[in-house]
Amino acid sequence: MTGSTDRFTAALERNKEWAAKVSKEQPELFPKLATGQQPEILWIGCSDSRCPETSLLGLNPGDVFVHRNIANVLHAGDLSSGAVVEYAVRHLLVNHIVLCGHTSCGGVAAAMGNKQLGILDPWLMPLRQIREQNLALLQSLSPEKAMLKLVELNVQEGVKMLKQKNVVLEAIHERGLQVHALIYDVGSGVLRELHTDETEEAIKARLTSFKTDI
Amino acid sequence: MDPRTSGLRAVSQYLKQSHERIFENNRKWVATKRQVDPDFFTKLAAGQKPEYLYIGCSDSRVPANEIMGLEAGEVFVHRNIANLVPTIDLNVMSVINYAVRHLQVKHIVVCGHYNCGGVQAALTPTDLGILNPWLRNIRDVYRLHEQELDGIKDDTARFNRLVELNVVESCRNIVKTAAVQQSYQDNQYPVVHGWVFDLKDGLLKDLHIDFEDMLKGIKKIYNLPTSATGSKDSC
Repeated sequence: MTGSTDRFTAALERNKEWAAKVSKEQPELFPKLATGQQPEILWIGCSDSRCPETSLLGLNPGDVFVHRNIANVLHAGDLSSGAVVEYAVRHLLVNHIVLCGHTSCGGVAAAMGNKQLGILDPWLMPLRQIREQNLALLQSLSPEKAMLKLVELNVQEGVKMLKQKNVVLEAIHERGLQVHALIYDVGSGVLRELHTDETEEAIKARLTSFKTDI
Repeated sequence: MDPRTSGLRAVSQYLKQSHERIFENNRKWVATKRQVDPDFFTKLAAGQKPEYLYIGCSDSRVPANEIMGLEAGEVFVHRNIANLVPTIDLNVMSVINYAVRHLQVKHIVVCGHYNCGGVQAALTPTDLGILNPWLRNIRDVYRLHEQELDGIKDDTARFNRLVELNVVESCRNIVKTAAVQQSYQDNQYPVVHGWVFDLKDGLLKDLHIDFEDMLKGIKKIYNLPTSATGSKDSC
């Protein structure tokens, strides 16, 4: 295991180089960060190593609050992502929530297949539910296009779920919080926004069903 | 126009600009990567083979790739409030399972940071609604190390130590999984490490967790050497 240990030591070495570089280029950054964080963006994305949010957004430490999990799936009852959204929206007052899916997602590929995967199965359940609801459409597409379609549908479904959270609903209506659906293309590095236009009727139905008061 | 409408319009205009800045930055980043290596993204499209799984805090000041000096494709990342690894959290358990069983990562790093808002909240007698059950895990860490922590008189020093012990307990919870125990038995990896990031200078501190020793201690009670169902996907 010496080889791996060397690589590990190398990561710690690179951190020293990074810290020295940042201190030189932006001498005020670390002292400022030590006093607190005021990120404008909450990023919810995939754990996939090819999707490093702060780098691909061209932003600095302090700019993006982050939750990353397998296939950027949101479960209504997941306490982990629930705590992240609550903290980011209610306490940090972020102005944007970005939910970002990506091409060649392993979790989405797994949900398009039919192999048992142990504990990953319950986690990927929402993806299979979307697959079931859109089965005819997905089966009419080539495997590659069907995968991308499921990536997009998953993000749209996730945005819907975010907007059903009371803390998010309130912030949208009281201070203009925006929720965005993005797709990242790992083959080109480019982000694109999905349009999630809604009818007045859909917005009204959501408010009626999900808006709650203390 | 009433002030509320004009105020909202100004906010909306500002949001539009700050949102567009993101896409502009993204295009610049792509151009920079391509300049250094024209095949950078083509290679990534072929698949990922990260050596590291990083479990860290959602805090905006601790971006995983930047602090480790790693490129896209090199580190698989999970970030939640206060870098916790609750043993029944399906979210983090799925991440560990996928990283160990499917990506065969060589190292798992838990990275905490000083001045962590989550750890601080857990030291404060305040009801934070839905955050309570999540943050209660940190109060449990305090209880596990009550004697040591109560012995530290300086508030900042005690806070810092709780940040470190919270990392150690997250590492311990990772070692409890069947995925890690079985992979280590078969392949001698992954190795689990605990780090703390210091916001004041941007430097990482290795807590020098003795992985072999931790594994031995864990196995006395949490030993899961083989699957009862023959599955190779347990966690």
